[in-house]
Amino acid sequence: MAILEIKNVSKFFGGLAANSNVSFSVEEGTIMGLIGPNGAGKTTLFNCITGYYPPSKGEVLFDGRRMNGLQPDKVCKLGMVRTWQKVRPLAKLSVVDNVMVGALARTSSLKTAREMAMEQLKVVRMEHRADFLAGGLPIGERKKLEVARALATQPKLLLLDEVMGGLNPAESEEIIGLILDIKKHGLTQMVIEHDMKAIMRISDRIVVLTSGEKLTEGTPQEVVSNQDVIDAYLGESHA
Amino acid sequence: MNKTILKALIGLIVLAALLAVPRYVDSPYALHMMILLFLSVSQGQSWNILGGYAGQHSVGHAAYFGVGAYTTMMLMHAKQVVPWVGVWAGMAAVVVVALIIGSICFRLRGPYFVLASIAVAEIMRLSAINLTTLTNGAEGILATEIPAFKIGETVVTEFLTKVPFYYIGLFLALLTIAVTYWVQHSKLGYYFQAIREDQDAAHSLGIHIAVYKNIGLVISAVLTSLAGSFYGIYVGFVDPPTVLGLDVSVQIMLICIIGGMGTLWGPVLGSLILVPLSEALRSNMITDLLVKIGLVSVDSKVGVFLKENLAHAHVLLYGILVVLVILFMPDGLMGFVKKLAARRHREAV
Repeated sequence: MAILEIKNVSKFFGGLAANSNVSFSVEEGTIMGLIGPNGAGKTTLFNCITGYYPPSKGEVLFDGRRMNGLQPDKVCKLGMVRTWQKVRPLAKLSVVDNVMVGALARTSSLKTAREMAMEQLKVVRMEHRADFLAGGLPIGERKKLEVARALATQPKLLLLDEVMGGLNPAESEEIIGLILDIKKHGLTQMVIEHDMKAIMRISDRIVVLTSGEKLTEGTPQEVVSNQDVIDAYLGESHA
Repeated sequence: MNKTILKALIGLIVLAALLAVPRYVDSPYALHMMILLFLSVSQGQSWNILGGYAGQHSVGHAAYFGVGAYTTMMLMHAKQVVPWVGVWAGMAAVVVVALIIGSICFRLRGPYFVLASIAVAEIMRLSAINLTTLTNGAEGILATEIPAFKIGETVVTEFLTKVPFYYIGLFLALLTIAVTYWVQHSKLGYYFQAIREDQDAAHSLGIHIAVYKNIGLVISAVLTSLAGSFYGIYVGFVDPPTVLGLDVSVQIMLICIIGGMGTLWGPVLGSLILVPLSEALRSNMITDLLVKIGLVSVDSKVGVFLKENLAHAHVLLYGILVVLVILFMPDGLMGFVKKLAARRHREAV
């Protein structure tokens, strides 16, 4: 069953079409990869899905419900949460307090929220950092904190925006393991990523965007062997 | 000894001492200083909830202070309404004002919000000057006769000495500290701080930004209005510049900036510094001190110069202090203390 359906979504900024007529759907329990060159409109699409921008045209259906015009907080309450390409830690709060803010979307008790937060910190293997200030973490841990905080809101669909960007190979490997772990728990994910090897490994299906339009969609194998994708994005070496 | 028990013990001792002060201190001046201190704590703490925790740096808190003060004073002056009743009217009026201001200003962020908050307070000040039938305009309202609060024939409160004001002020300061403590240890506090640290991230985590900002504003404004009513009744006089002026807003902010924004004890610390300091500067204590320790003689040119000018320069000195604190302790005194404690902790480890 499709948990997320994107139907002919367009987003215009003045005369510029950041997204035009993008349609695809994400099946429950799978990982959808979203790739494309810089400026292809990947993050804009995330913003349209999660309520930061209203789509100019088309509609977004989540769990069969029309999401257009809903604010991000409402989107989160309904079970869809995103992380940020440029990480946004709540710098002056401790790591566990950051994650608690996410958990408080589901409970009003600080005690329960703290327990939920510690659980998520275990998932990303950061329990030992619980009392550190979020602003003092290195980039690798900031990225994991983003994921833990998003998971603490108990989403049905997790949208990860370049969660491996800027990480070294070992850190990326850890994140890949984490994403696959999350999938095992049945959580649907949509992942924007530039690292082709990584996205090939984790995705069940991949959507390719260029200049705001959907170029193609398919399994990782189909996508890398597609001549248009090679021309637009991958270059000769992947052929 | 257990740290929490120690803290509770210190708290109890301080509280007992504060409660006992009027029994042993007769000097109206000393009581007056304490009342000013309590007033400052409650003002700073009220601002702290919105400015310190939620990060919405309002430079228009005079609006709430003044509306609270004016409402209570107008009712007392024109209708002989007892202040105990008048404060509730003040708070109700302030809630209305706050929600109107919030729904407009919270569409703006950062410096734009600051400018809007200044503008709103100025509108309030100008309204108070011009709505002469209600507010008596620039002349202000003088109401030194406080009607006694009677139930049947029994007089419950009279305000003949400073002592009742002392206890009310103390209660107000403790109330605002308690409210801040409660905010800090509840979902509200977490949501406020999330909004302060990163509004977009907070939004994505299920926080309805406008709702929580307005909750913060209403709590903050109601407490500020209580402080305003208290000030009005205590001084017995309100006019537009003293309760609605821009410097009132700035003064309220400074308590937190100097003490440490977004900390429970910051406004207390800030008040402990600013209240005596501004009093010392105003009453020329510094010149007296310099004379006493023999640095300058009263009759010398310098002495005469200082005596004549220093009192007038108190705003200037005050400004210099603020600049120094902001330069060297950007997180206020509480931030500075915490940093020192952390450093000592690191060295110990």
